[in-house]
Amino acid sequence: MEAGNVFTLVQKKKRVKARGKINSVVSFLYPVAFGALLIILWQTEILHKIIGTDTFTLPLPSRIFAIIGENFPKVITNVQATVIVALCGLLLGSLFGYFVAIIATVFPKWGAGGLNIVSAFNAVPIVALAPVITNWTKDVSSDANTRSMFAKALVVMVVCTASMSVNAFRGLTEMTPFSEDLMKTYAAGRFETFVKLRLPNSIPYVFTALRVSVPASVISALVSEYFAEYIIGVGRQIRENIVLAQYATAWAYITVACFIGIVMYAILMVVEGVLLKNRR
Amino acid sequence: MKYKKVLSSKGMVTFVWVLGLVIVWELFAYYIEGTKRTPENILPHIYQIIGSIFSTKPVSSGQTAIQLVMSNAGATLFRAGIGFLIGMTGGFLLALLMNLSGIVEKIAFPYLMIIQMIPILGMAPIVLAITKDIGVSRMVIAAILTFYPVSTNTLAGFKSVEKEKHDLMHICAANPFQIYTKTLIPSCIPYFFTGLKISAPMAITASILVDTLQGDGGLGVMLSQSLKHAMSIYVFWQIVIFSAAIGILSFYMMGVIEKIFLPHKRSRSNGKKVEE
Repeated sequence: MEAGNVFTLVQKKKRVKARGKINSVVSFLYPVAFGALLIILWQTEILHKIIGTDTFTLPLPSRIFAIIGENFPKVITNVQATVIVALCGLLLGSLFGYFVAIIATVFPKWGAGGLNIVSAFNAVPIVALAPVITNWTKDVSSDANTRSMFAKALVVMVVCTASMSVNAFRGLTEMTPFSEDLMKTYAAGRFETFVKLRLPNSIPYVFTALRVSVPASVISALVSEYFAEYIIGVGRQIRENIVLAQYATAWAYITVACFIGIVMYAILMVVEGVLLKNRR
Repeated sequence: MKYKKVLSSKGMVTFVWVLGLVIVWELFAYYIEGTKRTPENILPHIYQIIGSIFSTKPVSSGQTAIQLVMSNAGATLFRAGIGFLIGMTGGFLLALLMNLSGIVEKIAFPYLMIIQMIPILGMAPIVLAITKDIGVSRMVIAAILTFYPVSTNTLAGFKSVEKEKHDLMHICAANPFQIYTKTLIPSCIPYFFTGLKISAPMAITASILVDTLQGDGGLGVMLSQSLKHAMSIYVFWQIVIFSAAIGILSFYMMGVIEKIFLPHKRSRSNGKKVEE
């Protein structure tokens, strides 16, 4: 290869890099511009005319944020209640789901059938599940708040178990070709194969499951609040305020709920980026 | 030998699992029966629920429990179905648009991601307030929930087409329309159905949830009334069983429809190609 050629190559690489940068900036700008346009339409009430509603049912963004600011302490208590429920359920469900996946890996034939049952639970509407679980947990504690917390976390757990168990099972069983044979060649026992091959192999799959179950945990926490005994949580506040025709406050809580979902997802992405840095 | 085959078949494994679940349920039901004054509120026996399905005792306004459940299920499922169809069509079209135009994809894709993080079900009351009509809001929520899994999965399907196929179409001098009808759309169908499998139970859940917000007939209304003991608690249990069954059925039904659309059996799991 001649020097000139090398030089042009380097230049080409630089150009490609620069174009990539411009591209990423542009691809960031498009959605932001679209979002800004939406908010402008909303604030100037053009959006209301399009949907055919009024500022009473769909308050202006400025008003919504003002309400969040005014009721900040109350918002925080409700957010805490929802986040605790979502996180506890997520943790319990993910651990249990992984445990189910391990059992299914050890006994593949019966395990696969069990996984079918678990994933069938995923298709059961949360709406039917939440009241049943609320009834079951009546004796857990004499304090209605603790009782409700427990019931809500259980609902979230059921939802999170399904996605985790199915994905983790795939992670524990779908290996790169010959890797299992390699372990056999090294005379590794089943346990050693499990710890040194299957467990690390399943980590990316675990994150795939979490991408589904983190948003799902927030959603099911909100829905389970609808049916809980104790009136607390962002979801319940949305409902209570609608009943009282306090639409602006309800919208404030909806904004907060979206915020919770987005923040939790963002945290997951950061953790995944850090943990799986060398696996891409 | 044959006997062994039956024992180790897939259906048998599932059957044993279901049997195990039934046994566990019954054991708990016996335990509850011994300790609680109103066991049917906590966990009735399965035979009691089945018995209530066939009982001819009217529970409310001269209808038996099962008539009540079925007539209300019709209203709920019909709207969920319409919303599902609207969301399905919209999701597919958006994926098509995103694949056709880079700008649309750049604008829409981040929002699709964000929608996934937003608890749409929590917005049900607001949709109801805006549309002012329970039927319409059922459809809207079901449509939104169906929309995003379908569009993200379909887009993934379009992107999954190998470069060689594109090249081949290029060599054959195919126009864009032919490229879509002959390669892209057929190859995205498994992905499209993956999206449908995710969203079918969701649409039903959404529809029932919207019901619970306002009385106008529908499964959710009956569910909340039964819980408040306005009628026999068995109506509630029937709805639980029924909605669970419908949710699971809707999932499998999508699989069946997929088989009809894709008769040449490509063994794919969840839109992922499996080496044969």
